[in-house]
Amino acid sequence: MNLSLPAFYGYLGQLAEGALITVELFLTSFSLALLFGIILAVATSSKSRIIAAIWSVYASIFMGVPSLLVIFLIFYGGSAMVTAVLGDSASIDITPFSAGVAALSIVYAAYIAELLRGAIANLPHGQFEGARALAIPPLIMWVRVILPQVARLALPGLVNVWSFMIKETPLVSLAGLNDLVATAKIAAGATKEPFIFFIATSLFFIVFSAATLWLATRLEIRLDRGLTRTKA
Amino acid sequence: MSEIADAHTAISLTGVEKFYGTHRALAGVDLQVRRGEKIVICGPSGSGKSTLIRCINRLERHSAGSIVVNGIEVSESEDAIQDVRMEVGMVFQHFNLFPHLTALENCMLAPRLSRGMSKAQAEKLAMKYLERVQVAGHAHKYPVRLSGGQQQRVAIARALCMEPPILLFDEPTSALDPEMVKEVLQVMEELAHGGTTMICVTHEMGFARRVADRCVFMDQGQIVEIASADAFFDAPASDRLRGFLAQILH
Amino acid sequence: MSGLPIDLALAYDSMPALLRGLMTTILITVVSLVCGLMLAFPLCFARMSERPWLARAAETFVVFFRGTPVLILLYLVYYGFGQIKMLREGPLWLLFGSAFGCAIVAFSLNHAAYMVEVLRGSLLAVPAGLVEASEALGISRRKVFLWVRMPLAIRYGLKAYQNEVVSFTKGTAIVSVVTITDLTAVANGIFEQTYDPFTPILSAAALYWAFINAIRLVFRFWGAYLNRHNEDGVAETTSLPTSTLERMTGAGFTTMTTTADPATSASTGTGKEAA
Repeated sequence: MNLSLPAFYGYLGQLAEGALITVELFLTSFSLALLFGIILAVATSSKSRIIAAIWSVYASIFMGVPSLLVIFLIFYGGSAMVTAVLGDSASIDITPFSAGVAALSIVYAAYIAELLRGAIANLPHGQFEGARALAIPPLIMWVRVILPQVARLALPGLVNVWSFMIKETPLVSLAGLNDLVATAKIAAGATKEPFIFFIATSLFFIVFSAATLWLATRLEIRLDRGLTRTKA
Repeated sequence: MSEIADAHTAISLTGVEKFYGTHRALAGVDLQVRRGEKIVICGPSGSGKSTLIRCINRLERHSAGSIVVNGIEVSESEDAIQDVRMEVGMVFQHFNLFPHLTALENCMLAPRLSRGMSKAQAEKLAMKYLERVQVAGHAHKYPVRLSGGQQQRVAIARALCMEPPILLFDEPTSALDPEMVKEVLQVMEELAHGGTTMICVTHEMGFARRVADRCVFMDQGQIVEIASADAFFDAPASDRLRGFLAQILH
Repeated sequence: MSGLPIDLALAYDSMPALLRGLMTTILITVVSLVCGLMLAFPLCFARMSERPWLARAAETFVVFFRGTPVLILLYLVYYGFGQIKMLREGPLWLLFGSAFGCAIVAFSLNHAAYMVEVLRGSLLAVPAGLVEASEALGISRRKVFLWVRMPLAIRYGLKAYQNEVVSFTKGTAIVSVVTITDLTAVANGIFEQTYDPFTPILSAAALYWAFINAIRLVFRFWGAYLNRHNEDGVAETTSLPTSTLERMTGAGFTTMTTTADPATSASTGTGKEAA
């Protein structure tokens, strides 16, 4: 092994910084995806056929194209797009991080919205009818009656999306982000110890998934309080 | 009550026990079934009746005692188990028809796979038994299009296609809507007039009375009483059986 | 400039190159799918084996190759194994000696790990009663597996398999990082030459979209054929069992769109599915 211990610790520090960026990227993207997804799901749950059509197109596009392409599109073409939309005076610097967040949020909002739409569709009709009969205003109905129940139904799927999305964050390294994977690659190249660094990186993702899954299971138990699980 | 197993014994159960962990499902069962005999087993739920017959064709492993089917000891040996299963056919409460195969194909599968029959031979055989249970007209339909009664009759035909000398029925009508119970029982009664050895776990007491040679009452994993059908219903010897019959036949 | 400037002329001119890139993508995808699936069967049997050490070993494989992002696996194989002189020049040169070989190895291992879980879930979804019935009929274990369990498992697992195939296909876009000229690489190349990010990337996206929807169509027909025995030709949708382990390694949508829908489980009194 041609890696001295102090050097290794040095690289470990860099890896930790990279990991931080990965986690930042992930949490930001997931939160936004969740937000957009909820809005999309609620907005497209109407009976309007036009809205249904728009949703179909959006969903088809963003679930039928590699996330990497969306990342590249936003990263390389993002500033041009912004200028196009907002006029020549506006221009923003698109960093790999922001391109990554934008791309991942847009793509995963589609998956989350699809999930939530399914959950909403599976809700007993009585919930909507009961709320309407009680003259609960729509916004409150959604926020306090429907969405909490949807959350319960959708939780397993959301956990899946979570697990899947974290594993797509390395894609942003290909747009230049100095995340964990990029740092590992540099370290591996510099020290000629690919196995150490890539396996360490791999373990990070595995442990992250395991830890969050454990939390998710506990959350599921908590959300199930007050309900008997009836097997379908 | 213990009879001696001889050349006319189809199934010999001696001291059969079955444990699920610490729970004792069968607590020492002795039973000799003669060739061609029709036995009905009844009892409250949890009495071990299904477990008992499922041990006969090794769908369950008995923990102690011996089970001998037409001279073959039911044991760990894969070959022995295969041989026993060729001697014993089974009809299930929930039919268990293969949903992706037509009624005809359901019946043809085992003869082709286990007996190496050709497609033509198996088809002829299958149609014969489908006619016997009176569902020949539905031969090319998938199970999802058949009523419960029709499905169960196909299931019976499927078991018959292997031409086993012994047939086991595990509550064959319990999952059926009442109006379809009759058609299935009719098929079973007709079968009973042949020489097949039949063991039937059921709650259908009228059927038991008409068809059974002997009736067995089980409770808590043990045989409480065995008697000829008449004696069983007219003059039950044990209190538990009397109580059970009073409940069932009120 | 206003609006997304898609240079149709450029798009048209780059089509041949893009299509060649698409061919490479398809090749990598198909080869990896096949290799991964072949590997998945023995691994799945190991996973479901009654011998604890075998099951544990298979589990470890799945946890590692499913929990690790594909990009890292690609790096691991290419920069790790692919640089070991002995492997490059030894008998395994076919696998590790080229970027293409390394990519296939990495992708196949990843796909295999996902398929182990899809297979396992599908096999577990086959109602026990049906297996019992076939055993009671005297059909041997091997034949029960081939003629009863697998045909039904495929029907139960088709949706999950489709999901995995689709997300896998999208995941192959990273191979450009190890010098393979797939569709994404071609698009990037054109962008580098012309400084036009939109045309090549959008064109590539359109091609991916077409390929993926072709895949979806194929599965739709396959599913309709397989499920013609059902009343409306629709698959019995069941929620594949999600073990903690599965979720830990990121079930990657294998259970996401197969939601248990009580309305579709045949409630016509057939009672054929285990209650």
